[in-house]
Amino acid sequence: MRFFENLNFNFLALRKITYGVSAVLFLLGVIAAVTRGFQFGIDFKGGSEIVLQFEKPINIAEVRADVENIGLGNLEVKTFGGETGVMIRTELQTIPAEVYPDVITGIESEIENIYPGVPRVIVDSTSNSVTYEFENSDTASTVTELLFTAGFQSARVSEEPDNVQMIVSVGIADWIKENLRTKIEDNSFIVLKEDIVGPKIGDELKRDAVLAIFFALLAILVYLGFRFKFIFAFGAVAALFHDVLITLGLFALLYGLIPGLNLDIDLTVVAAFLTLVGYSINDTVIVFDRIRENLKIHKTRPLVDIINTSISQTMSRTILTGGTTLLTVLVLLIFGGEVLRVFAFTLFFGIIIGTYSSIFVASTLVYEYATKYKKKVEF
Amino acid sequence: MKEFRFKLIIIIAAIAFSLYLLYPTYLDYQNSQDIKQTLNTISEQLKEEYPDLSKTQLNNILRAKEDSILAANPDIVKDREERIKLGLDLQGGMRVVLEVNTAKLLEKLAKNPDDTFRKVLSESQAEAEKTDEAIVDIMARKFSERDIRLSRYFGTIRDDDDEIISSLQESAEDAVTRAVEIIRNRVDQYGVSEPSIQRQGSRRIIVELPGIAREEEAKKLLQGTALLEFRIVRDPEFTFPIMQKIDNVLSGKSLDSLAVDSAKVAEQEASSDSTLASTDTTESEEELSEEEFRKQHPFFSVALLDPQGRSADAYVKADDKNRMELILNRPDVQKVIPNNVEFRFKAKPDIDAEGKEFYTMYLVNKAPELTGGVITDANANIDPNTSAAIVTMTMNSEGATEWARVTGANVNKRIAIMLDGAIFSAPVVKGKIPGGRSQIEGMADLNEAKLLEIVLKAGALPAPVDIIEERTVGPSLGEDSINQGLISVILGYALVGIFMIFYYQRAGTIAAASLTFTILFILGVLAGFKATLTLPGIAGIILTIGMAVDANVLIFERIREEMSTGKTIKASIDSGFARAYSAIIDSNITTFMTGIILYQFGTGPIQGFALTLMIGIAASLFSALVVVRVIMDIMVSKNVPITVG
Repeated sequence: MRFFENLNFNFLALRKITYGVSAVLFLLGVIAAVTRGFQFGIDFKGGSEIVLQFEKPINIAEVRADVENIGLGNLEVKTFGGETGVMIRTELQTIPAEVYPDVITGIESEIENIYPGVPRVIVDSTSNSVTYEFENSDTASTVTELLFTAGFQSARVSEEPDNVQMIVSVGIADWIKENLRTKIEDNSFIVLKEDIVGPKIGDELKRDAVLAIFFALLAILVYLGFRFKFIFAFGAVAALFHDVLITLGLFALLYGLIPGLNLDIDLTVVAAFLTLVGYSINDTVIVFDRIRENLKIHKTRPLVDIINTSISQTMSRTILTGGTTLLTVLVLLIFGGEVLRVFAFTLFFGIIIGTYSSIFVASTLVYEYATKYKKKVEF
Repeated sequence: MKEFRFKLIIIIAAIAFSLYLLYPTYLDYQNSQDIKQTLNTISEQLKEEYPDLSKTQLNNILRAKEDSILAANPDIVKDREERIKLGLDLQGGMRVVLEVNTAKLLEKLAKNPDDTFRKVLSESQAEAEKTDEAIVDIMARKFSERDIRLSRYFGTIRDDDDEIISSLQESAEDAVTRAVEIIRNRVDQYGVSEPSIQRQGSRRIIVELPGIAREEEAKKLLQGTALLEFRIVRDPEFTFPIMQKIDNVLSGKSLDSLAVDSAKVAEQEASSDSTLASTDTTESEEELSEEEFRKQHPFFSVALLDPQGRSADAYVKADDKNRMELILNRPDVQKVIPNNVEFRFKAKPDIDAEGKEFYTMYLVNKAPELTGGVITDANANIDPNTSAAIVTMTMNSEGATEWARVTGANVNKRIAIMLDGAIFSAPVVKGKIPGGRSQIEGMADLNEAKLLEIVLKAGALPAPVDIIEERTVGPSLGEDSINQGLISVILGYALVGIFMIFYYQRAGTIAAASLTFTILFILGVLAGFKATLTLPGIAGIILTIGMAVDANVLIFERIREEMSTGKTIKASIDSGFARAYSAIIDSNITTFMTGIILYQFGTGPIQGFALTLMIGIAASLFSALVVVRVIMDIMVSKNVPITVG
């Protein structure tokens, strides 16, 4: 069985059309990026994200209502996995000052529950904890233990035998969980995943991601510059930019439109894009290698013919490899689970666009350059 | 055939080696299933017999049982160590990045912090968060702007600013070391399997705790001041009868019967357990077999004593530690231990003559003579006279007075130095120490002394840490991820394989077979290098499956082209491989490079992905260029027809 045997199609002739297609896609992406913007995950913005799994199917709108007025402002609430999974995200890492009194009330009411009327004084409060002092160390220890069992993050300030202080940490995640526990009484949950990223780390991760992309492109440019002539390296890298930017545009365009697909940009997405870069360059090099070979063999044929023939000859392989890779990515998309979904999505479209760009962007750019500057392309 | 022999041997060796490296993972999987089943049956039994057994008690018993299974079967332990390591996102667990809160540290170090000090400090802290400058430098600058000398708050009046700055910076560095040790000590006692605690840079600590079920409990490990205590170790005349009583309780004899006296017990142990150096080989009247000994003296078979009876320190094998803790927690055992003492373990294990780990167990007073707040300084060095490692320790005035009293009243007794309940050292009191300045001896080397120095400082000076990043994956999500990953891999593999066979026929079958080898090699390399498999790593494998066929496709397409020009099958194969070569190398190297960069800049799961990607490329190149080639060459030489579709 053969695909594309004896194909000899004039791809370059289509280039005016394909420039148009690329331009349109690009424009769509830009408009989407400007109007809808990109959503970054907490890896880059910093913040807290918890994923809960309820015993029974839960109504997302209900959860959203429950966490609306607990003072944390804009909380994102989404489904995760099936009907029992909920993801809650906020940009804050610590409880805002206005909410503080509510937090204290919650702790106070639990303490009253445990030990009604126990004398206590708040001796310190920071952005994420509050310290109580009791009359004696036994009281302190008992209250600490019982508060912990009730689900609060309480601990003795020091392990000295005469310690009378208890510190209760209130993280965002704890506050959210506490509220849900009290408000949703007939449906218990467990924590599937919890991520808290401080702002400094977020900045560092952002910096690392940008550096990674930069160095990847640089390395590829240098390597290809050695193996092929510079114009080819340039064409290849230009195709890469094309692929990354259009796929990125897709993120802006489709954000929130496909149920069950979370298109936040986080570290996994960056990894997916780098993989896309790796795959796309793979593709482009195959075509260029054939062009290089044909140039050597048919020294007198016009460049148009050589490029077209090369593309035709490699078309079979391009479709096949693209097909098998796309197949495995599809498997990942459907069966790979929630965590990898955005990864598979990026690669799925990225591979299609990457294959398209190897033919209609990289090679055409080389052709344009050669005809414009009337240079003889050779190795 | 001869030319192929070499290549064939290499291929078969590679396959065999991969299988060998992966075998422990397979065994470990079987073992885990068996152990899980055994524990389940025991759990059911226990719940029937003791319906009001609390959850923690049940867990403790199960843990001890698991330890004894592992102790009895060292192979299982070996398999567990050699299996493929799973990332936190697949086994569940917690990863926390801690950073030393230098501002809080400076506040605690300050002599007389007043309002000006606090104001400057909070300004410095705010500025430090925006820039990368060290807070010590910022604070120094602000003070000098206000014309305040640093010696007003730190050090002595004679120190100039630069000296104080450098000593503060040193303190900040020290604080990280202390925090690491405190956390390590607590994690060790908590009993997480394969924890990882690492310093990163000058102020950060990365803690990974796999398999944590309750993250709230784990977070407890990371907060709070460490407690340093000095407690008296009871002497053998007091300790041994208690041990004897425990032994009797466990074996069912009456509490006061002293069936065998201490020397005989020690001898029995020495002769039945050759791990302790025994110098006396006097015959004991009744030589009990090991089994009988364990039945008659259940306590002493776990708490091994020194055969010469020099002390009542018990040596508990690492495998038995959980069992011992269980024994000590039994209410009937608790009754025979006086209220004012308790058994405590040494923090770090020692190695015996056979290379096995054991923990020393002491009987100490519950109430401490002194606690860590009184220590002002500690230093580890080498004694110029004896060349032994020592630690010098100084205390403040109230500590010194107490210390003089304690040491005076306990000459020739031992005092245990404990941090968070674990004993780090138990030196002998040589005489009364009046000035608060002590010298501790008995450490094996300078490293042990340095550890003691850190411990002493840890109790005195806290190392406040903040959690700046925390990632927790619950075990159920981890399990789901593994399942989904496995399904995807198998499905992807099946689909691609079927397609190859369908499109390239005979050659395609060979390619599908080589795909099997590729996956085998990838997993083998991961196991061999003890690399970690993460969920993105599994995605990397799936991706590699899709891209692995690329090399094959390039080669087969070439072969088809060559054949269409009329060449023989052999010639076509040869030139097909030759001409596809350059394209394959160039394209795969560029993908490999992105893998390297991803590995360099990524963390955790992303690195796992980059690793499988790179290994996958190497493995698929090997499969396509060597394995398929050899198979085809062999087939050609045997005149087996190859169809390329």
